[in-house]
Amino acid sequence: MRKKTFAAAALLAAATLTLSACGGQESDRSPVSSLSQESGSSGPATVLDQPWDKPGLVLTDTHGKKYDLRKETQGHPTLLYFGYTHCPDICPTTMSNIAVAAQKSLTPAQRDDLRVVFVTTDPGRDTPAALGSWLKGIDPRFIGLTGDFKTVQAGARSVGITVEPTTKDKNGKLVSVHGTQVVVFSPKTNAGYVLYGENATVDDYIKDLPKLVKGAKP
Amino acid sequence: MSRPAVLAAAAALTGALALTGCSGSGTSKAELSVSGSYMPQPVSADMAAGFLTITNKGGTKDELTSVSSDAAGQVTMHSTMGGEMREHSSFAIPAHGRLVFRSGGNHLMFEQLRHRPRQGQTVELKLTFAKSGPLTVEMPVKSATYHPTTGH
Repeated sequence: MRKKTFAAAALLAAATLTLSACGGQESDRSPVSSLSQESGSSGPATVLDQPWDKPGLVLTDTHGKKYDLRKETQGHPTLLYFGYTHCPDICPTTMSNIAVAAQKSLTPAQRDDLRVVFVTTDPGRDTPAALGSWLKGIDPRFIGLTGDFKTVQAGARSVGITVEPTTKDKNGKLVSVHGTQVVVFSPKTNAGYVLYGENATVDDYIKDLPKLVKGAKP
Repeated sequence: MSRPAVLAAAAALTGALALTGCSGSGTSKAELSVSGSYMPQPVSADMAAGFLTITNKGGTKDELTSVSSDAAGQVTMHSTMGGEMREHSSFAIPAHGRLVFRSGGNHLMFEQLRHRPRQGQTVELKLTFAKSGPLTVEMPVKSATYHPTTGH
């Protein structure tokens, strides 16, 4: 442990010195942050002291049918994420990490029990059909929900996630915003008790999902 | 060795190396190379992300001004802050510094792909700079869950 600390400290010092020695412009791209991620002991999960109620969202699923989040996911381990399909980086990575981890770490019965819900922050483009075909490329069991943006935004806000409506940038391109966290709801209490940030890897989910589907802390 | 001694040794060593790296090259032109490039296998042919690091060993800054690929109708450059991405027309590459595109931060966005890139394939792209000549990159397509720190 002591040795490890020395090595990390020396590396950190090295990185800092190298950067500052050669003109500080690149300091905001310093590799220090990725170093601290690796050496962090708590992992990417945050267990909430005060769990959140499941949002009372009633939206439209990928088959065009009404979907009542609380009713449909009651008693099931549930992972909730707010994102959009015209998203190249974090949204597909987050969903793919969960899909691959569920396949690798859960039994078929646990996979059937798990509810992974992707709520679009871009309902203008993410119709039920568009959401459905996108999620099919990741995991056909995942649930995609769309509906009125204000409803989505209020639901996200109730679990501490800020999303903004899709806007047009200066080139006339549509720009949407995704949530930065996955909220995990317990099958026992139905409360949101764990959060995962966007730096969570597939290995993190592989390690934690077997606990999460039982409502245990990661 | 005590902790301060270890640190001092590391600092001394690094200081010496950094000085060697910088001295005498203060007026040299930009010297660019690309490393760590990859594309996570996208969900569809609509859109894909690409990541890479551009290192500048030279003493002059440069700028990445455009990216193109025969595999895509359009490649744009973005930064991400708090879930919101913003398109940029260029990114600075500092002298003796790096420009990093990595998941969760800056990314290249491929749109109107000719076909959905699959794991194991490569995508060729061309990087154009303000001062240096263009660079061609063979970007490997990795799994959808690939993470450079774990390598899988």
